[in-house]
Amino acid sequence: MAASAGDVLRHLRPGPRSAAALTAAVVAATALPLAAPQLTRGFVDDAIGGASTRHLTLLALGYLALAVAGQVARLLTAWLASRLAWDGTNRLRERLAEHALGLDMAFHGRHTPGEMIERVDGDVVAVADFVVAFLMDVVAGLLLLAGVIVMVLTIDVRLGAVLLVYCLLIGYGMARAQRLAVPSAARSRAAGAALFGNLEERLAGAEDLRANGAGEHAVNRFHQASAALFHAENRDARIGTTLLAGTSVAFAAGTAIVLGLAAWTRQSGTLTVGTAVLLFQYTLMVRAPFERLIDQLRQYQTALAGLTRIGELLAERRTLPPPADPRPLPPKGPLSLELDGVGFAYADDVTRVLSDVTITLAPGETLGLVGRTGSGKTTIARMVLRLYDPTEGAVRIGGLDLRDADPASVRARTCVVTQDVQLFAASVRDNLTLFRPLDDDHRLRAVLADVGLGEWLATLPDGLDTELRGVSAGEAQLLAFARAFLTDPGLVVLDEASSRLDPATERRIEQSVDRLLKDRTGVLIAHRLSSLSRVDKIAVVDGGRIVEYGYRHELAADPDSRFSRMLDMGQVRR
Amino acid sequence: MKPVMLVATRLARFDLRRYLVGALLWMPVSVIPLAGGLVLQQLFDHIGGHRPAALEQALWLCAAFVGVEVVRGVVIVVAWTYGVYWWAAAATLLRSNALRSILTARGAAATRLPHSSGESVARFRDDVSDVVEFVDESVALAGAALFGGAALAIMASIDPVITLVLALPMVAIGVLSRLMNAVIRRLHRRARELGAAVTAVLGETFGGVLTIKTAGAEEAVMRRLREHNGRRRNAAVKDRLATDLLGTATGATVEISVGLVLLLSATAMRRGDFTVGDLALFTSYVGWLTALPRTIGVILYRLPQAEVSTERLTRLMAPHEDAGDLSRNTGVWFHRQRPAVPPPPDRDDALEVVEARGLTVRHDASGRGVHEVDLRVRRGSFTVITGAVGAGKTTLVRALLGLLPADEGAILWNGVRVDDPGTFMVPGRVAYASQVPRLFSESLRENLLLGRRAGDDEIERALLLAAFEDDLAAMPEGMDTVVGPRGVRLSGGQLQRATAARALVRRPDLLVVDDLSSALDVETERLLWDRIAHAAREGSGPETLLVVSHRKAALERADQVVVLDRGRVVGRGPLDELLDGCAEMRRLWSEELVTEAEESS
Repeated sequence: MAASAGDVLRHLRPGPRSAAALTAAVVAATALPLAAPQLTRGFVDDAIGGASTRHLTLLALGYLALAVAGQVARLLTAWLASRLAWDGTNRLRERLAEHALGLDMAFHGRHTPGEMIERVDGDVVAVADFVVAFLMDVVAGLLLLAGVIVMVLTIDVRLGAVLLVYCLLIGYGMARAQRLAVPSAARSRAAGAALFGNLEERLAGAEDLRANGAGEHAVNRFHQASAALFHAENRDARIGTTLLAGTSVAFAAGTAIVLGLAAWTRQSGTLTVGTAVLLFQYTLMVRAPFERLIDQLRQYQTALAGLTRIGELLAERRTLPPPADPRPLPPKGPLSLELDGVGFAYADDVTRVLSDVTITLAPGETLGLVGRTGSGKTTIARMVLRLYDPTEGAVRIGGLDLRDADPASVRARTCVVTQDVQLFAASVRDNLTLFRPLDDDHRLRAVLADVGLGEWLATLPDGLDTELRGVSAGEAQLLAFARAFLTDPGLVVLDEASSRLDPATERRIEQSVDRLLKDRTGVLIAHRLSSLSRVDKIAVVDGGRIVEYGYRHELAADPDSRFSRMLDMGQVRR
Repeated sequence: MKPVMLVATRLARFDLRRYLVGALLWMPVSVIPLAGGLVLQQLFDHIGGHRPAALEQALWLCAAFVGVEVVRGVVIVVAWTYGVYWWAAAATLLRSNALRSILTARGAAATRLPHSSGESVARFRDDVSDVVEFVDESVALAGAALFGGAALAIMASIDPVITLVLALPMVAIGVLSRLMNAVIRRLHRRARELGAAVTAVLGETFGGVLTIKTAGAEEAVMRRLREHNGRRRNAAVKDRLATDLLGTATGATVEISVGLVLLLSATAMRRGDFTVGDLALFTSYVGWLTALPRTIGVILYRLPQAEVSTERLTRLMAPHEDAGDLSRNTGVWFHRQRPAVPPPPDRDDALEVVEARGLTVRHDASGRGVHEVDLRVRRGSFTVITGAVGAGKTTLVRALLGLLPADEGAILWNGVRVDDPGTFMVPGRVAYASQVPRLFSESLRENLLLGRRAGDDEIERALLLAAFEDDLAAMPEGMDTVVGPRGVRLSGGQLQRATAARALVRRPDLLVVDDLSSALDVETERLLWDRIAHAAREGSGPETLLVVSHRKAALERADQVVVLDRGRVVGRGPLDELLDGCAEMRRLWSEELVTEAEESS
């Protein structure tokens, strides 16, 4: 069930003071132009009546002043509206980003960063444009319309009534028509997202494509996606412009009816020529915002489609429900780990990724996970970090079921070093602390020195404040270790952590790794059996099951064990 | 010609028929209001009583007013629907040219792409639409000019003096637009840059979501996003204010013009020379007339925007390419498929020896990179490049393949200097499995072939060589399984073996592998090297291998090991020779042995 547009728009609501300022500006922008035609009426009637040139000139100058003031008020409205729109849409962006960050890894596995950019920023930009246009063209336009109708009612009740009924009909028709146009706009937007998602992947993989001579082919695929976008936009445009033209014609008919009625009333002598001119100016006046409104129709559609998609994103439920009564993990010391008959399958998939995984580690014990790639080692590690909840069984850390544990304490007390190190276009400091404030440069330097990046740091022009660029994969890995050292976890997961490190470099941080694992519980996934020399227990994983599990020294000593055979194959001394 | 104007002309001309027909269709939309004004003039003269007050005639005129709008409405629908094609085609043309240049043009692409792929996407999306909208505005300009000319003529025939005076505010608005150009340009560029920064932050955040989540750094990352959002907001509000100032000036022009008409017509109206109908016509035309300075204003506002965008798009192109290449008519394929890429022509330069001489890449001021590297790889040999972290192994391989621009040095294929390695060192000569491989959200088959024509048996052989057959058997839809970011999740090892298969299916003379074995376990790795070596002997796989590795298994197989230390070659030769004569090799090897032998029960 998607969140309604109302829920989404709630994030856009401004504060009371800003709202008051905007309201004042909108009222001025409406009232001033409404007053101006009254002077035109006086001018025409008085000119025909033979008033003095001085009187007429004064009227004309008055008109000028009012009209220019109205424009200034409009400018002020636009400025206030865009400020409010940006504040509101930034809040929405942040809300979306926060929500999306909270979604589980299965969600992020399905959505590329490029797609997320489109959904968190692209859709919101459409909404931001919409909000400014809404305040300027719809609210201000409707106010002006209401003002005009009131004015016309005071001149002639019958004329005013006709105008009112007519405007209501047009308004109703437009609202209906918009609902018609939303699905096609959504389709065209989805095609756009697909095109740019496709593009993002290709640009990120540009070197793979070039070096494999697949550039021309990728261009072909791009043309196919562009064609799909064109066909979606084409359908969308057909519906959109028909509505635009229809509304425009309907509006002209309204003007004609008012003028026809004016001509009829004039014949009966109850209406002056000046009043007819005034009526005409008023209809022209409502026409302008109406036309802008129709002009923006496509944008509204896009924005509505955007709102729908934003609603969908907000409706994505976290698969990791927050505990009703969160209890913190023990704040100090190593943590015990227990996987109790854990089974797992992705929500959208029947295939079981893990079945009946049972592992027990006492505080301070370390476990090595061994198995072919794709056997489920990484998934087990992710269960331990509570990136997924088991579909069967339970994961307990420090004796506490992770589903009942305070998520903040889980993050603070567990940590992971993965093979794909994500670095940010930010300073070395921010890359280490992940943007969290930490005013202890001494510690940062010490940690970098510990992992063997001390010399590297010394070469950087601005030290810790140097923007991180051109880092080799090995250095990135070292930085990831440094990140781990900065926290004080009770449980550490090393997922293929040392696979990109050269032996020489690896030796340098090995002591540090030992120190990281000292008095901490550890889960290690390493393809090099030598990396597992320090673990207490070994679990051999195959097809999502534990096929062998026990103390390392016992398995290594048993010539019939799988682990022992693996050691032989790797020509590793046991 | 300025680059932006060159691009604009090209976009107008690449499908001239559609552009002109579209423009001609659009013309009436601007011109029809002329008729509306004339109808109004008649109508008000009837109401004003200067003509015999015939109600029936007034009503007919009202009907005519509606009729004019109906015609205009129909024209809008037809013209717009027709114009969508041109718009989409022009955008596709620019995008596909830039993409083609990044993926296929001579020279390295690495230095041209922005830091994050999110930012690149923003260029493809926003910069392209800025340029196309600018060109699109030319049609509106023509329409407004046409209307302006005719309207001024009609108005002059009624009252030349007032008409002349009305031209003044129009000129003023034009001048004002021109003056505000520079300010708007600067503000717009800044808003755009800060917008791209937000996009980049979002891209990074979601790219590194695992790191952020496991560290519990969500709040800090959100704070960073908020900072960027705030900066972008301030810039965008300023940008919008400047644009609105111009809009307000135009709006005020209409009002001032109406005021001027009133001022100037006061005497004439008293005399009866200037009728109410004339007043209605003038007020109605004045509104439409501002379309001219307004459109000029929009164009003047869009021009700097389009200039910035053209410049940014051109920066995506290769150094030898310019705005002309960006806008070259390379075809748009909305209604039928673009012809598939023809297979590469047969070549007579089968690998004998590939060399790098004095290859130098300076990464940045820190002086890292590779320096004066000589490398010689003979047909049928197994070469391993090794070295410590940051020694320049990946840099060397990328420079050899032309993925990075070399600052100095040459690459020779069979003794002949390679002019542009980026376009020369490709299949069937060379194929490459990179260190951080990428798969696309497509079927496994598509990911392996990437446009290459090969039967399923060939794919299967490549998958077998890459030791992927068990993984394939486990895939729900076999080779039709969608993998990549939006498909089935592959583990690190599966990803690297799939990438190896992608290189192998291209049947290269030389296979370049950057640390392929890093995510593979012992059994799988051994199997993979055995199979590739076996295939080389049988002639069904690449004979020549260039491998980045530091592991025992690879080093022991090597005919030649090249040892890099801080970007320089410090040793080359078979492993045992190096162990005698190269200190760095001895150091690396002993570390490796210690690591691998450290297992103690």
